[in-house]
Amino acid sequence: MKISMAEEEAAAVHGNGDSDEKVLEFLDSLEGYLTLMESLASTLRQGWFELASARHSMGVSRVSSASLDLKDHLASTYLEMTQHEFDESIMRQPQFSLRKWASFENGICSSGEEKPDSPQLRQRCPSQISENQEDLSKSDGSHTTVDDLVSVKKERSKSLSVFGTLVSPKLRAAQASFETALDILVEVANLRSSMLSARNQVQRGIEETRK
Amino acid sequence: MAGRAPIATKSSALIAMIADEDTVTGFLLAGVGNVDLRRKTNYLIVDSKTTVKAIEDAFKEFTTREDIAIVLISQYVANMIRFLVDSYNMAVPAILEIPSKDHPYDPAHDSVLSRVKYLFSAESVASGRR
Repeated sequence: MKISMAEEEAAAVHGNGDSDEKVLEFLDSLEGYLTLMESLASTLRQGWFELASARHSMGVSRVSSASLDLKDHLASTYLEMTQHEFDESIMRQPQFSLRKWASFENGICSSGEEKPDSPQLRQRCPSQISENQEDLSKSDGSHTTVDDLVSVKKERSKSLSVFGTLVSPKLRAAQASFETALDILVEVANLRSSMLSARNQVQRGIEETRK
Repeated sequence: MAGRAPIATKSSALIAMIADEDTVTGFLLAGVGNVDLRRKTNYLIVDSKTTVKAIEDAFKEFTTREDIAIVLISQYVANMIRFLVDSYNMAVPAILEIPSKDHPYDPAHDSVLSRVKYLFSAESVASGRR
């Protein structure tokens, strides 16, 4: 009898410890989210300023939406998304990573499953992406070859060439600022996922306690 | 379900944007622009002539496309379609409200933060401890 009561008390203390941990995880995610949003605002302000400077030196007509390329083309910077399904009762928590200056090809690869063949969709698994010389700088700072760097420079120039052959250094600086902003945004998206997942767990804990 | 190994699904996806001209131009410089064979873009430039319906249609389109994982929307634009943004509760695509040149970021209007702020009410925390 005494042993079972002690066990119940230990379980209650352990349960409270678990819920405290979940609350702390949620608060940490929230703090990180707000900090990153401030950092994003600062980076975007710098980007807008540099864009305005470029517009001033190159002319309003050259740096405007009228110059944007409306011919069909693939994005050079895109996301790689990993979704983990841990439990059916918990919302899937996706994780995003940024692939910069690579070639976007729509594809889905699942671990442990054979990649389906499709003549219409060009599909690549991440393992193949790393072997491709055109697949380039990743936001996680992994090692790149000289070919990769040349290709990145080529893709960056291609993006700038929409605004003319000779562009202001300020436009290049704006490009770098917005690339940094993208890195921050991907971190924000990941923290958002963590925060919402932690919120769901805290909410479940509260509901279970109420029962 | 006990002992089931977690399944990881990886996919490539685009970033969509609903924002003012400078913000969209900047992110297009960073290479996120995508135009498909039907001339459909992954961005909408919002200016003084853009109608609320056009913004709503773009938001609905971007949030239902399977090749989009994140939708960036300027917060002042999100305020125009606040009901639609707040009622969106899917994990993917993730909706991120960003500041614009003339409208700084306001955490009080962020849809993500408004979904979690109720956890800070004294009543919800205290009731869980009883």
